[in-house]
Amino acid sequence: MPRSELAERFRPMLRGAGARFSREAAQRPILVFEDVYKSYEQGAPVLRGMTLVIERGEFVFVTGPSGSGKSTLLRLLYRAETVDDGRILFLGRDVARLRADAVPFLRRNLGIVFQDFKLVPSWTASENVAVALEVLGLPPRLIRARVGEALERVGLSGRGDALAAVLSGGEQQRVAVARAIVGEPALILADEPTGNLDPQLAIDVLGLFEEIHEGGTTVVFATHDRTLLEVRPRRVVVLDDGKAIDVPNGVASDEYDNRLPL
Amino acid sequence: MLSVTTTRRAKRGMVREWRLHALSVFSLAVAFVCLGAALLVVTNLSAAQDRWAHAGRASVYLKEGASQDDVDALRAALTRVPGVTGARYVSSGDARAEFGREFAGHDALAGLGADAFPASLELDVAPDMPDADLTDAVAKMKLLPAVDDVETYQSWTERLARLVRGGVAASALLAVVVLAAVLAVVGSTMRLVLQRRRMEVEVLKLVGATDAFVRKPFVVEGGVQGALGAVGAIALLAVLFLMVRGRLDSELAALVGVEPSFLPWQVACGMVVLGGVLGAAASLASLRRLVAV
Repeated sequence: MPRSELAERFRPMLRGAGARFSREAAQRPILVFEDVYKSYEQGAPVLRGMTLVIERGEFVFVTGPSGSGKSTLLRLLYRAETVDDGRILFLGRDVARLRADAVPFLRRNLGIVFQDFKLVPSWTASENVAVALEVLGLPPRLIRARVGEALERVGLSGRGDALAAVLSGGEQQRVAVARAIVGEPALILADEPTGNLDPQLAIDVLGLFEEIHEGGTTVVFATHDRTLLEVRPRRVVVLDDGKAIDVPNGVASDEYDNRLPL
Repeated sequence: MLSVTTTRRAKRGMVREWRLHALSVFSLAVAFVCLGAALLVVTNLSAAQDRWAHAGRASVYLKEGASQDDVDALRAALTRVPGVTGARYVSSGDARAEFGREFAGHDALAGLGADAFPASLELDVAPDMPDADLTDAVAKMKLLPAVDDVETYQSWTERLARLVRGGVAASALLAVVVLAAVLAVVGSTMRLVLQRRRMEVEVLKLVGATDAFVRKPFVVEGGVQGALGAVGAIALLAVLFLMVRGRLDSELAALVGVEPSFLPWQVACGMVVLGGVLGAAASLASLRRLVAV
């Protein structure tokens, strides 16, 4: 799909009150959750009035016990679910109000990594990464070049021809990360990406996300693994009782222990 | 327009699920064989009908006791009828000898009586002579004292026409059956393929593929299945046709008056196109509801 069409379907809001480009508008937070409500069962909301702001270039951990709504929060963002109430602004656009046919164009601005990798086992590592560029309609030669670069970034150069099914868990997750970054999205969403990995591999994969973040990409990393939160002081958002509790200085800070019953 | 990506994804899908696709193609080929066979029969009946409708001849059978003077007078009179371009006398002996040459080696000739080959005047009729004029002339000929009967082959043509109409109706019915078969077979196959490639669809949608992008290779696969089914059916019919023609060619040609012919290339191409279009449509219809992600 040509970039021009992408712009037609999901266009970051870069204008102020008038029709002209606004630097201020372009520097707005990349992600804003405003009073978001979501429930799967009547009377048992997962998110109840959750509000959260994430700035461009941040690395944010989202944590909380099982069922606290970490995955729901991410699914709302890439529109696998829709909010019951409230707004989710991504690049200034309300994701919740996007038309169904605009959702694919939203997702092209996101890189998503899952706990279960979500790779096609009968495809090679390269094919699994290339798919993110094929949907954009890029020429095959460019796709091959960028896929090679992405695999190299995640430490899998030379493994491109291997079937996903024969790769180890750590390698599969690296392929999934390569697929998420190959399109150079504005935001990477990681939903328990280390959940299926042993502790050392989990820290390696976290390191990979940190490298990506150092390149300027915003990363939202959902995990319930406290050891990962302790690796480096990062902003942590704890989901508790359907609301977001912000801990800007990470789990090592006093406010974390004082405020959160983890 | 098909992109390189769509074609490659379709090819990859067909190669990886080749058993499923082969089974589907075989089922479709069976359905198309029925339609092709009916069309083959219609094609040959239609050719025979054409041949006899413009036979350009009529036989005036003479009574047993007709004298040579009667025959000469009759021949002179007949050549003056508008549309009749010639008249040739064939005696009973000549008729028997001609039949013997055409069916050399058959024992049937010995058992036939003398009255099986009456003397006749074989008329050459202009191919453009209107049927009404020919019918009128025949009615007048039958009134002549030396004439026993007149054969214009019109009844044979009418019987063939009825057969062709029946064949066309049967073909139309079979086309409906084929339509249903293609929809059912391709639809079921593609749903099964979709189920087996659920992860692929899910991944595609998560990386921002539109529904059209996801569907395209499946539609191509359905179209290829339909077209290959038709090609397989035509190939099978061609083999059967060659086998049958090798055995029956001369007898059939002598009886019917035309060489048996295979489906015209336009009909064969039409079947392939029909198969492709139906397969693609069936695939598209079965994929309306994609995996929701």
